[in-house]
Amino acid sequence: MPTTYYIVLSFVLFLIGTAGVLVRRNALIALMGIELQLNGGNLAMLAFSRELGDLKGHVFAFFIIALAAAEAAVGLAILVALFRGRQTVNLDEATLLKR
Amino acid sequence: MNAGGATAVDQVVFWVLAVLTTFFAGFTITRRNPVTAVMSLVATFFCLAGIYASLSAHFLAVIQVLVYAGAIMVLFIFVIMILNREEVAPFSIRPLRVLGVLGGVYLLTKLVDVVGVGLPEAAPGVTPDGFGTVAAIGEVLFRDFLFPFEAISVLLLVAIVGGVVVSRSHQKEVAAVEAADYRHQIEELAHHDYPGEPEAPTPGHH
Repeated sequence: MPTTYYIVLSFVLFLIGTAGVLVRRNALIALMGIELQLNGGNLAMLAFSRELGDLKGHVFAFFIIALAAAEAAVGLAILVALFRGRQTVNLDEATLLKR
Repeated sequence: MNAGGATAVDQVVFWVLAVLTTFFAGFTITRRNPVTAVMSLVATFFCLAGIYASLSAHFLAVIQVLVYAGAIMVLFIFVIMILNREEVAPFSIRPLRVLGVLGGVYLLTKLVDVVGVGLPEAAPGVTPDGFGTVAAIGEVLFRDFLFPFEAISVLLLVAIVGGVVVSRSHQKEVAAVEAADYRHQIEELAHHDYPGEPEAPTPGHH
């Protein structure tokens, strides 16, 4: 398949992820949106990597997956800490730094 | 649409996987129940692994299944188990955000325009032999990207420590401090005389 199709799919995936982060109140689902965004980026990396016949894109996608694992671990830990302190995972109620 | 050098099988596989990926991704962010959302996220990642394989990125496809559908999803499930809460109003839609979505849609059409013009319609020719295999990626990874690779290992270590420190419960520590205090008081009492006993029979005992 032409690279263009893969790039459009990666846009769509990134957009869905962004919508999830912006619109959802549940912090867990916002984190899932971030994972979708990272996967959209990965897909673009791999598509261009095949287009150019260069394996560097694969290496960067590998790094992004490792980064996503670290991000998920720390993000979920923050969620657990938030839940301990405020008894909520609602992002609209986590306003401690606003005041 | 004429897809250049792609065979019919390639096209069918791509379209099925692309539609499934988009569907499950949309399903993920619209579900109320977090467990359903995680399960459809797993489905998204499996379909994406298939798309990676169709890009001849076999190693990355396997890593995708192992890390995302394996490790990260288990983490999500555990956290959902800890904080299973019903949502009152799952979506937070405000006028400014609707404006943002409209702007995003406009930008998306522009981006699709740009990408449609800038890249050839035909699929790229044959990829080099062994493209996307473990051996090929390992050679690039350990020859040109050795330092970033080691840096990633440090990052993962920091993430582990950070995750433990941030999510640790402080109640146990408080309880431990209180228990130590209590023990200290009891020891002090034991060194002193029995409160009910008069001072006279044990002079000089301190």
